[in-house]
Amino acid sequence: MKKSSFTSPALPRRSVLTGMAAAGAMAAMPRRLVAQEQITIRWWSPQSSPEQLAAYQTQIANFEAQHQNVKVVFEKTSDEGYAPQLAAAFASGDVPNVVTHLPSFAVSNYWRNGLLEPFNDVIEMIGPEKFYPGANDGYEVDPGQYAGTSIGNSAANMMWLRTDLMEAAGIESAPRTWDEMLAAMEAMQGGGIWGAPLPYGRNSMTSLIFIGVIHQAGGQVFSPDLQVAIDTQETRDALEFYKAMRQYCPPGATNYSWGDSLTAFVSGACATGIYTGRVLINVNTQNPGIADNVTCALYPTKSADIPHWTFNDFPSVFIPKAAPNMEATKQFAAFLFDPEGYIQQLHAAPGHVLPVLQTISADPAYQDNPIIEKYSAEVDKMAAAAANGYNLGRESAEHQPNAKAGEIVNSGVIAELVQRVVLNDENADQVLGETTARIEEIMAG
Amino acid sequence: MTVATTNTPLLERQYARLGALLIAPTIVVFSLVIVYPLLAAIYLSLFSIYTPTLEGDFVGFANYWDLLSGREFWNSLRVTLVWTVGTLSLQIVLGVGMALLLHQNIWFRSLARSLVLFPYFLSTVVAVLVWRWLFNDLYGAMNHGLMQLGILDMPLDWLGSMPNAMIGVILVGAWKYFPFVVIAVLARLQTIPDHLYEAARIDGAGPIARFWDVTLPQLRSVLVVIILLRAIWDFKEFDLIYLLTGGGPVTSTQTLSLLVYQEAFALNQMGQAAAYSVGMMLVMLVFMLVYLRKTGGR
Repeated sequence: MKKSSFTSPALPRRSVLTGMAAAGAMAAMPRRLVAQEQITIRWWSPQSSPEQLAAYQTQIANFEAQHQNVKVVFEKTSDEGYAPQLAAAFASGDVPNVVTHLPSFAVSNYWRNGLLEPFNDVIEMIGPEKFYPGANDGYEVDPGQYAGTSIGNSAANMMWLRTDLMEAAGIESAPRTWDEMLAAMEAMQGGGIWGAPLPYGRNSMTSLIFIGVIHQAGGQVFSPDLQVAIDTQETRDALEFYKAMRQYCPPGATNYSWGDSLTAFVSGACATGIYTGRVLINVNTQNPGIADNVTCALYPTKSADIPHWTFNDFPSVFIPKAAPNMEATKQFAAFLFDPEGYIQQLHAAPGHVLPVLQTISADPAYQDNPIIEKYSAEVDKMAAAAANGYNLGRESAEHQPNAKAGEIVNSGVIAELVQRVVLNDENADQVLGETTARIEEIMAG
Repeated sequence: MTVATTNTPLLERQYARLGALLIAPTIVVFSLVIVYPLLAAIYLSLFSIYTPTLEGDFVGFANYWDLLSGREFWNSLRVTLVWTVGTLSLQIVLGVGMALLLHQNIWFRSLARSLVLFPYFLSTVVAVLVWRWLFNDLYGAMNHGLMQLGILDMPLDWLGSMPNAMIGVILVGAWKYFPFVVIAVLARLQTIPDHLYEAARIDGAGPIARFWDVTLPQLRSVLVVIILLRAIWDFKEFDLIYLLTGGGPVTSTQTLSLLVYQEAFALNQMGQAAAYSVGMMLVMLVFMLVYLRKTGGR
């Protein structure tokens, strides 16, 4: 009688049964995975250059590989368009799962109206100790509750300079004060090159940049307890400076926003620029002829005793409360800070969005980038400036968070102040009075 | 006789029910797409509503009081009227002129008739991007060409200062929408009887006299319809102006549509935006009444 293989000493019954059980479990596993509900996570961001999109796709692919029942879809928005798009999304309930790169001041308003999911869990997943000290302070709108976090830092009002033009004009160093700035403009403008691409359009850039100019005059838009404090001599000085700069800006600066201003410097049409570190990659890819003659400095102030004021919009990450699949959404939000994908995202526009995690800044993989290596002094300068940066959502360390900052910027009231006084030559006292009233109305609304 | 008196009302009732049944889908669709949004807008206008949550408090006619007492609505209404009259006038002149040209026996007439429709078919976003590039102060073909011809010494700020911004918007609007006038006028031109022109020639009328005395009277009916339809469409134009100037400089090109958008989505004040919309609708109602009167309610 032939022996059954089950009784073979070479293959004991126990081993066979264990193997069968394991095979059964293996066979069952795919069915369990397939049985899991397929879910889609929608990710919105206004930052969508081709290099950034490629980085996002890598992050998405890595996350999907780890979560086979999840599909992540990226959807573009824009700096000027996110407010209406999100308003419509919130109103309809058809919200994205994760929103990134909006300025921090936009977040607090949504939080105050109960539209956002607390971000504490995600910060815990990322590791709160990895963030730069104070990086999340602006998001703690209510004590102990975070409305979101920063996905990066930015120094949005850096002054970009052409060293070759400075040398030709006999300018030895970057202007420190407004008087020096105006003198530099006078010296560098000519031969088809304009001095600066400052924005005078009816848009958010004009508002945000001019808020910086008010601070560079020693003023502020709000007092620390959020009383409107824009009707001051400092704002009048800021308007005078902005008006004096108009003659050094291209004619079309009256309609400039971020893209136009960036292009005006990168193309070589302007001797100076005002933008984030995106200038570096754009100069190197679009106008390499000037790439070796580009540097940056902090934007000048009215006098040397007034400290610099850097506009950091603290590009954010947040989750709408109505987003479906909250657990997977939070996992994805935390995954955006996974070093491999995060560094690739930062490298997509080196110096534009600066790391918000100390562990990433120190990571050799982050430093290993030709742009960051070539312009290490500029990147360090921007990182230091951004670390001390503020925006209308919180104008200084003493200021309370301003949940209405987004609506003030979106209303265009500050851009209109600039246009009425600088372009239309209207009476500054009257316009400032009306501007104060309008801002107070928005704050009360 | 008795049967007839009892059956006729029954038949009528059956016909009436059938009629109501047949017209019901139209009524339902009409109610959903026109009546409901209209009533919703009026309802919203009585509240102070935060757009993202659509929650708010009843404020009665406060939004209408703000509308009437504030400057925004009246300023935007004035801008809207300037834009509408300006662009519509140009559309009519260009459209009639081009239609007359294309009605002639010229070379490549079919090709020209097709090409003239191009701006009308082009996406507004694409058209505006092209025009913004043309108007660009640093690289724009418009400034470059005018400077090459010696007409300008320095680049002109086309879209950032007044009155250039309004002129620029009106020009682009006329370029974009004049083909509609061409199509309608050309169709009418082809139906004008030749004997009217022959009679005019026999009477010694020249080309200009024939245009004023024959062509224009024949075009009158179609022009009335075109002007009223285009006036309504131009009055509520949004995308072209928003993309070209965003309503600036300051509020010089901010039409009522842009004001509504600004209030609803930038300031998140849906109630006030709804009040502006109702105000805008009332103004448009005037256009509609004129249209109905001119077309005899057909």
